[in-house]
Amino acid sequence: MINDKNSQKIVDIIQNFARQHSLWVLAYGTGCGAIELPPTMTSRYDAERLGVRGAATPRQADVLLITGYLTTKTLKRVIRVYEQMQDPKYVIGFGSCTINGGMYWDSYNTIKALDRYMPVDIYINGCMPRPEAVLSGFAKLQKLIQAGKADGAKKYKENLEWYRANQKNVIPNWRMPEYNW
Amino acid sequence: MKEIKKTVIEKITTHFKEVTAQQHDGNRVDFFIGKEEIPAILFFLKDEMGYNHLSHIACVDWLEEKEFEIVYIVWSYTDKIKIFVHTRVERENPVMDNVDMIWRQANTYEREMKEMYGIEFTGLEAPEEFLLEDWEGPPPMRRDFDTEAYAREKFWERPGREDARDVRETIIERTGEELPDFAKKYKR
Repeated sequence: MINDKNSQKIVDIIQNFARQHSLWVLAYGTGCGAIELPPTMTSRYDAERLGVRGAATPRQADVLLITGYLTTKTLKRVIRVYEQMQDPKYVIGFGSCTINGGMYWDSYNTIKALDRYMPVDIYINGCMPRPEAVLSGFAKLQKLIQAGKADGAKKYKENLEWYRANQKNVIPNWRMPEYNW
Repeated sequence: MKEIKKTVIEKITTHFKEVTAQQHDGNRVDFFIGKEEIPAILFFLKDEMGYNHLSHIACVDWLEEKEFEIVYIVWSYTDKIKIFVHTRVERENPVMDNVDMIWRQANTYEREMKEMYGIEFTGLEAPEEFLLEDWEGPPPMRRDFDTEAYAREKFWERPGREDARDVRETIIERTGEELPDFAKKYKR
């Protein structure tokens, strides 16, 4: 009875509803975009009314915001942070640097497309996106979660080899712990 | 201010023979000196003349002249004058004297120059890596390092930006502005 298909559907709906309304964002900023987060979180735009709040550690967080360009040095840390996060977890790519390199397209030390190295659920474009755009990105993510389509973490687990190969391509000395899920 | 600058130049030129001085407007004096004399002149400036604040050590790549120029900028709290000490080292095998026994913070600048320009500092005690991790290419701030080609080769690029180009070209196209001759030399 419990494992039957319809009851699982109901559980999913309740689960997704709950997840959608409590998005804990890891307080980790890369590049220049982190400066847009204080106005988003504080009283003027007040992201907390959507259930978006800051979390102190990766293990408590649901959303990883990549707020700008990633150097290969930071990419290493970000991958470690992402792999420590507990399911459910979502990634938001923030600003044009994460999409196609942005103004750092010819830099010798920054990656140009984030989704080669990590699964990205939502991209917010702009350089930099204003708090309105950030909030609209969060609202879109909530819709995806509600529909059960924000499955970046699942994609990462299933295609780990492809992601690892890309990551090792830009990080030559791979000295990272192998997490197993 | 002018008198202070004059006495500073006099004092330095009497103590060091092969030095040329250059006065600037405001609170700045430049000295050009050979690279063997650098520790001596910096010791002299710090101990005898009270220039005890090292503001910066900078490096300039003179590719056409096959030389690096290293600039030490020191400041005195009593004279209120900046002194720029310039020196040149050859570009092939650049070796420079380490000055972090005079100012400990010179260590940081020297590590950066070692990584970004490939300049060796004799007796520099520092870990291998500083800002760049796992770097395998040539020192990236050298002017003969082609950043764009390196980035295109190493990092996967999303299609659709093949027409990305120098911002100056776009400006010329839109405004009809003419580029000065010296800028054409650096065109990609």
